[in-house]
Amino acid sequence: MVINDNKEKALSILSRGDGKLQVHLNSCVRCGLCAESCIFYLSTGEERYIPARKVDLVSSVYRRYNTITGKLVPGLVKARELDEVTVMEMVDLLYGSCTMCGRCTAHCSVGVDISYLVRVGRAMLAEMGKVPSTLQSTVDAAIRTGNNMGIPVDELIDTLEWLEEDLQDDVGDSSAAIPVNKSNVSILYTLNPREPKFFPLSISAMAKIFYAAGESWTLSTKMYDVTNYAYYSGNLNEAREIARRLRDVMYELNARTCVLAECGHGSRSFRWEGPNYLQSSYSFETITSVELISRYLKEGRIRLDKSLNKERVTLHDPCNLVRSGGIFEEQRFILENAVSDFVEMNPYGYDNYCCGGGGGQLAMSEYGDRRLKAGELKVKQIKNTGAIIVVTPCHNCVDQLMQLNQVYKMNVKIKTLAEVVADALIL
Amino acid sequence: MATLEIEGRVFEVDGDGFLQQPEIWDEDVAELIAKSDGIETLNDKHWAIIRVIRKHYEDKGMAPMVRVLCKEAGVKLREVYDLFPLGPARGACRVAGLPKPDGCV
Repeated sequence: MVINDNKEKALSILSRGDGKLQVHLNSCVRCGLCAESCIFYLSTGEERYIPARKVDLVSSVYRRYNTITGKLVPGLVKARELDEVTVMEMVDLLYGSCTMCGRCTAHCSVGVDISYLVRVGRAMLAEMGKVPSTLQSTVDAAIRTGNNMGIPVDELIDTLEWLEEDLQDDVGDSSAAIPVNKSNVSILYTLNPREPKFFPLSISAMAKIFYAAGESWTLSTKMYDVTNYAYYSGNLNEAREIARRLRDVMYELNARTCVLAECGHGSRSFRWEGPNYLQSSYSFETITSVELISRYLKEGRIRLDKSLNKERVTLHDPCNLVRSGGIFEEQRFILENAVSDFVEMNPYGYDNYCCGGGGGQLAMSEYGDRRLKAGELKVKQIKNTGAIIVVTPCHNCVDQLMQLNQVYKMNVKIKTLAEVVADALIL
Repeated sequence: MATLEIEGRVFEVDGDGFLQQPEIWDEDVAELIAKSDGIETLNDKHWAIIRVIRKHYEDKGMAPMVRVLCKEAGVKLREVYDLFPLGPARGACRVAGLPKPDGCV
């Protein structure tokens, strides 16, 4: 592996005089609390996975180029050259053994934002062209085609028409619709491309909820992809471009509210990171579909019969929505109204374990074995609930849980929140 | 390079168990990969799905939309998930010998 000319650009990320960055890089007191927070460490017992090690990897490079001792006597402060060995270790630890779930950050005794430092490390690697090719190809597809699976527009439209006919049969109303490219609507809804491509039941479910609520909504065929894998890769320019496209389509269609589909990182990257990427706030409202469904219930716009969902249900909290985004009550309020037998995992909510699929792990096949091993904690949690259905408002989590279900023979069903709500709708 | 050994045959695969060389795929390979996913016997509906995916991949270089899969294989949407519990991507496309699709799958 050759370190290309972009090494200087990578190093400049650390030396840009960013006060927040400097504080977080220099504050770890090595208490070790983060170790017991990390699914990679807990599932393997391997010390190199301890989050403080990941922090130290980035801060040792910082010390080498930004402190006098580090420049003169690097060995004295364990400062490290950004050389081939360091880069390989950074790729392996920052991409290959971290889901950026933030559980370590939540537990850190001095408040170091560890997942932020992992993102900084990833941004450095992105500058040097070291994003794992499997992750980069997902970003490339989004940049090149407008969605991360490269779905052609005509095939998307055929699928939406097919689902619309199905919706009309289901609700017995030939005017029920999945509208596309409509201007001046209340809601622009988004999708994870895996829905139209492979798992459209969640689109049907959400369309049925919109129908029941009498909502004025649309999808844009130009930009509907809620995901932003550049948030994971660390390439800020690409992350900005993807966020810009969704923002611009909101302005073009003059929609009032952007509703983000059930997608943890997509919600985070557009709603919370997007204004930072774009250096401006949005002039429209942005909410997740979880909050929207909760709002419909509170306003009486939809009614549910929870006796229609009799099987025991547990909930997996996506890290980006709950730990990072603070969306905690809404999904519980919805499930209280939508299912008869709801049971929490332990731990849950803010302290929930990541499923193992976040941080771009699902895209990075080279770390597939680690990802499935890291999911063991989640498997134990689920088995302990005795649930038949695991609900999670994140398509990325859904896919990881589906695979864990098969590998660890959990014998459960994995559903999105919209799907269980649609199953309980009273029309 | 990861390898996957099923009943004595060794395949070069990516970390998710998708074939590295889709061109070595044949019906025997499909049956072996299916077995590694716990599908002991591939029935007519499994085969109809696999053939549609395979043909679409050979013609267009990518997996078909699940709508096309249902229409051309003559199966209902929910049946696809019963037949391949890992779904059309990690389930059916892997058995059909395709490389792993991009995205949240």
